[in-house]
Amino acid sequence: MLIDKDKCSGCGLCLPYCPYAAINLEDKIAVIDQDLCVECGNCIRQRVVRCPKKAIYEPRKKIYGTPREVRRFFSDPATTHGVTGVPGRGTEEVKTNDVTGRVCRGEIGIAVELGRPCLGTTFSEVEKVTTALAKLGVEFEESNPLTHLMDDPAKGTFKEEYKQETVLSAIVEFNAKIDKMTTLLTTIKKVAQEIETVFSLDLICCFEEDGSIPVLPILEQLEMSPRVNSKVNIGMGRPYRIRREA
Amino acid sequence: MTHSLHRRGTTDSLKNDYVLLVTAASGINHIGSKDKLRQVLELVWEIGPTNIGSNETGTILSGVDLEEIRSNLKEVPRVRCNFANKGKAREAIKKLQELDLGMSVTMSGPTEDILEMCNEFNIKPHSINFSLDIWGKKGKLPAEEVLEFLTMCGHGLVSRYLVEETIEKVKQGKMTPQKAAIKIGHPCVCGIYNPERAEKLFEKYVLTS
Repeated sequence: MLIDKDKCSGCGLCLPYCPYAAINLEDKIAVIDQDLCVECGNCIRQRVVRCPKKAIYEPRKKIYGTPREVRRFFSDPATTHGVTGVPGRGTEEVKTNDVTGRVCRGEIGIAVELGRPCLGTTFSEVEKVTTALAKLGVEFEESNPLTHLMDDPAKGTFKEEYKQETVLSAIVEFNAKIDKMTTLLTTIKKVAQEIETVFSLDLICCFEEDGSIPVLPILEQLEMSPRVNSKVNIGMGRPYRIRREA
Repeated sequence: MTHSLHRRGTTDSLKNDYVLLVTAASGINHIGSKDKLRQVLELVWEIGPTNIGSNETGTILSGVDLEEIRSNLKEVPRVRCNFANKGKAREAIKKLQELDLGMSVTMSGPTEDILEMCNEFNIKPHSINFSLDIWGKKGKLPAEEVLEFLTMCGHGLVSRYLVEETIEKVKQGKMTPQKAAIKIGHPCVCGIYNPERAEKLFEKYVLTS
């Protein structure tokens, strides 16, 4: 985003709304640091910042069609990436799992959301995680826009032009058989020590017919207790899918 | 993702925080689903969510009304809202079960409570997304008290600087907890931020000042 210097009154109203402190006052005029700005769009929403002079704008030609456009897609939930067809920076994950069957019985879905909460990430940081996982034979989620920024998904490496782009968050998503869970989570714990940002870690699985949750004993062995809150797919979607067809 | 499973806070505080998402699946059942989602909007509105909105419009906290949310539903429509107590979350599940629209429904909140609701209505839940916490350079994060507010925004749009500034204003008596809760909720465009819980969190700064 940019600020029209001729319109800005220097009131400073917009400053605290930026999640990355990219807006500062210079000579009583607000200026956006283009390196820090992740193009999340907070500052241009008239129902959020309510800039009295409407001085903040999106320089579309400087964003779309350039590597910088990934900042928009991975930071502003109101944008829809062409690959997924759904708003936001990931897939519909567990939200529609009862009809997509993305994660079926006997499988797990893992999501490593780099940059959340509140630190953001570059794709160089994301690459530390994806290269470690690729060595285990992980196949990254095809429907996640992140996968399409890679130059070699088998190695988990990203195209050079995206590596230094900063985004609000990027979600590494993949599926695996449940018997790979220990190896995968152990690797993720290890790579957590090598990154300069944070990630939030998600683990998806289906309930068994008797209502039990198959990952819980494995998590206990790994001394990784799930937090008290979770997201539960109630199972009301149709057509219903829970088993992987051969 | 809406990140609703990663909300921080004490167990007691999280007991008053439920996020309902009703979603059409892109490429599977989204065609013709707008009318169904409009029915869902009516249903949850009657129950009384503490917040509701959409990425396209913003939320009721920022001045949007139900009609605007309804008329701006996209081709792959979603309904997102927050209930600030278990009774309303329970009512929503019961009514959605009765309506039986075939759309996917997720409820985020305390796992134990959600599974208890499912059991009560003889619902077999399909799948679960667990939060396995935050990893990496956690020393760079703001205080846990700030994270409690930040993580109520599903897409990370509530700024730590806005929260920290607003906490100071409440401490100094320059802003009421109610106004503070609304103010920091404006950036959360999808409508799952919980202003009632936020107000309670802000109240402790009044009591200790």
